[in-house]
Amino acid sequence: MTTDHLERGALAGVGGGLTYGLFVATVGNSFTAGLETFEHGHGGGGPVVSGLTTTLASVGGGVLWGLLFGVAVFGVGYYLLEPALPGTGATKRLALAGAGFLTVSGAPWLVLPPQPPGVEQALPTETRLAWYGGLMVVGALVAVACGLAYRWTAGRSRVVTAAATLAPLALLAVPVVLAPANPVHGDVPAALVAAYRWTVVFGQALLWATLAAVHAWLGDPATTQVDTDYPATAD
Amino acid sequence: MQPTDDSVYDRFERARASLSGTQVAVGVALVAALGFALLFVQEPMLHDSLHNFRHSAGITCH
Repeated sequence: MTTDHLERGALAGVGGGLTYGLFVATVGNSFTAGLETFEHGHGGGGPVVSGLTTTLASVGGGVLWGLLFGVAVFGVGYYLLEPALPGTGATKRLALAGAGFLTVSGAPWLVLPPQPPGVEQALPTETRLAWYGGLMVVGALVAVACGLAYRWTAGRSRVVTAAATLAPLALLAVPVVLAPANPVHGDVPAALVAAYRWTVVFGQALLWATLAAVHAWLGDPATTQVDTDYPATAD
Repeated sequence: MQPTDDSVYDRFERARASLSGTQVAVGVALVAALGFALLFVQEPMLHDSLHNFRHSAGITCH
């Protein structure tokens, strides 16, 4: 049953992963390397691997990043959550992609926005790791709340449904207010930091859009229909 | 297209009926391991190898 769903998720993941790997290869690697010229030594004597290793491993990391979300979000997540996703066809995929983006990147970025190399952050790494992980959980919960709000108001007028569906996003303000201050310092010009951040945002948006597009293009497996008669209990 | 009584609960039930606990555990472990390695591992060799990827993806936890 799920094999077909997993396969489609994995295929979407391959499509999204290769696209994102290409993004890292063309934009990410050179942009990051360029920004490193603003770094004033890490105090550790430079990276422990060669530049070529970083270049190749980062492209590979980008491919795996897409494959991971393809399998986990569109393979498993889509199968389990499909009945609750709004709309039909591509709309369902876009809703799921939006929830994925919010969980993995959107919510964490509200407290820990992407920082280019050359910008030092005041909070210690462990603290930031914990906050990043915690905010992923918050993002997932808010996405579920948005889905529930949609379900409860689906019969109302379009405006009411849209407003109610988006309302839980306001909850994201809570961790932003509670988070400890994280002053940064560095010599990267503000305009360059902004360009870098938006590049990162559009990169992740591209990844999720590609996952959704490939998955929608693959269509719905015929097994959804056949599966309905599958006994719910094994005994 | 979908029967009206199809729900998220049904999907979980169906998945539970056709997958063994071991399969689920292995799947979850693989996804968690890959996600953790890409996002959070600070071991210098892995961190420096994935440096450009992490900056490109906006993962600032390093």
